[in-house]
Amino acid sequence: MDTCFDVKNLNLYYGEKQALKNINIDLYKNKVTAFIGPSGCGKSTFLRCLNRMNDLIENCRIEGTILKDGVNIYEPKTDVVELRTKVGMVFQKPNPFPMSIYENIVYGPKCHGLKNKAELNQIVEKSLKQAALWDEVHDRLHESALGLSGGQQQRLCIARAIAMQPEVILMDEPTSALDPIATSKIEELIESLKKDYTIIIVTHSMQQASRVSDYTAFFLLGDMVEYDTTSIIFQNPKDKRTEDYITGRFG
Amino acid sequence: MSRQVKDNILNGITYLCAFLGVLFLGSILVYVLTNGLKLINWDLIKNDYWSQNYLVAVTDNEPKEFTCDSCNGYFSTKWGVSFTDEVTSHKENVITIEYIAPGSPFENLTSLTAGDMYGTTIPVDEGYMIEKLDYIDSQGNAAIGGKILKQDAKALQESLDDASEITSIYIQSPGEGIRGSLIATLYLILISLVISLPIGIASAIYLNEYADKSKMNRLIRQGIETLTGVPSIVYGLMGVSVLFPVTTVFGATGTSILLGGLTMAIILLPTIIRSVEEALIVVPQSLRDASLSLGATKSQTIFKVVLPCCMNGILTGVLLSIGRVIGESAALIYTMGTFISDNPVVNGPATSLSLMIWSFMSAEQPNFELACAISIIILAVVLVLNIIVKIVGKKLSKNFV
Repeated sequence: MDTCFDVKNLNLYYGEKQALKNINIDLYKNKVTAFIGPSGCGKSTFLRCLNRMNDLIENCRIEGTILKDGVNIYEPKTDVVELRTKVGMVFQKPNPFPMSIYENIVYGPKCHGLKNKAELNQIVEKSLKQAALWDEVHDRLHESALGLSGGQQQRLCIARAIAMQPEVILMDEPTSALDPIATSKIEELIESLKKDYTIIIVTHSMQQASRVSDYTAFFLLGDMVEYDTTSIIFQNPKDKRTEDYITGRFG
Repeated sequence: MSRQVKDNILNGITYLCAFLGVLFLGSILVYVLTNGLKLINWDLIKNDYWSQNYLVAVTDNEPKEFTCDSCNGYFSTKWGVSFTDEVTSHKENVITIEYIAPGSPFENLTSLTAGDMYGTTIPVDEGYMIEKLDYIDSQGNAAIGGKILKQDAKALQESLDDASEITSIYIQSPGEGIRGSLIATLYLILISLVISLPIGIASAIYLNEYADKSKMNRLIRQGIETLTGVPSIVYGLMGVSVLFPVTTVFGATGTSILLGGLTMAIILLPTIIRSVEEALIVVPQSLRDASLSLGATKSQTIFKVVLPCCMNGILTGVLLSIGRVIGESAALIYTMGTFISDNPVVNGPATSLSLMIWSFMSAEQPNFELACAISIIILAVVLVLNIIVKIVGKKLSKNFV
């Protein structure tokens, strides 16, 4: 199976404190991979390593390699901007820009120098359709994105990420700020996006992980305890700690 | 003491303080309005400050019969001109022309001053003041009239009606207007904002978005905060010694609006940096993350997402700056000067409205009424500029939703 990221011996430190301990994992293309684990276990931190968003945090030091298409993304000559166009991200809280819906979608392409109006219109329509938002907003594209509901805003953020035509979409607890109905819509969306994109999702909800993901990795206190197909992790975990966590004995 | 009593006392203190604040503000307004309002009229705003003196002759030296239906003053039926008594804002009694009838000899006055001006037509209009009138009376004797003899309008009209021929008139254009200073003040605001706004915004961006926590940056920040506390007269001194050579490049030979504007720009910097920085801090980090995760560069993130969110902070900075520039006097005495110019140019001396108040109040006889009148105009200018800035700000942020 094709891998999207090969992570080898990854260690991450916040100052003196080690947040990730020797992570080794292969993440597969066109699959949904879920990271689960209790709060503070390092799963979000690891997710942010994959598009180098941790660069923004002071005192953050990373050792080891993350190979994407055979190239280490932590090499000094890596173009971070280029990496982030290939690896999009959706955040925990919906964070649309305070602009119109249309402007939100075309922001990324415009930043990369796309000016052709017709092309931009096409991108907007395609991304919104892929994000299952087109029917709800196609008649108010030029109204403020802040007027949308929380669930719609989160789907807009997904559409915004899709507009860049990334290979990978990282999702950092994308439904934790949403109600159950909006959550189920996002989950359906993840299901339908799977065929075009590699999706890596951090979630607190084990039901969500078992519903949407093909592979699951369990993190605990900076260690990656177990990584396997979702069915094995949830039905037949090898590690005692994984079993304790998914059966709700702690965390 | 019970909790309720304590609460009541604290509430009472806040109400009292708020009331005192309103009271002080109100009393200043009432004082300024009662003293200055009677001097406010269009002439004050549109006239030159300095009167021009002209010695003129009438070209058509023939008395005729004129009528005036709507004249309130004293109308000379023979020469077709009407006079009134007026008191200038400097408390001088003057005789002004109220009305010139069509076809009157006063419509066509030519200069008697030797030199280039000789023979040219002086466009005399309502509001001009008659200083002295030389004429030949009905007995054929030379006579004089006008303010110079402490005549009033009625006496001047009687003298004129007695005249068979006018030898010469010593006439003064209306003055004591503040048009020049008003324009100079607007220039000053414009120059200082054009210089300090980009520098201030860029510095705030540097401090908040780029600067790490190094010693150097802490020193810069400390320096900017200290600048806020420096008395403005010190800035004025610096302007004269440091910035004056800069203005000479643009042709200034002494104090100038440009020098005042440069000095003010430096005074404004801390204010603008502060207000923009406060706005930058409030912009949620999640918006920056979103932009960066879409593959935008740092500068694209700052200019396309972060700065537009700061529009309100920038506007606050602009409004505070306008208030500061209009109200400043100490720093401008050396740099912009106190010379009242009717046709201000950027590299020439002029005075601002606040400096005008200072000049009038530090004269031998302080002129409270005129100072109050100018205060009212300053308040009006601030109000108008604030409204304009708010409207422009709304337009700008509408583009951004």
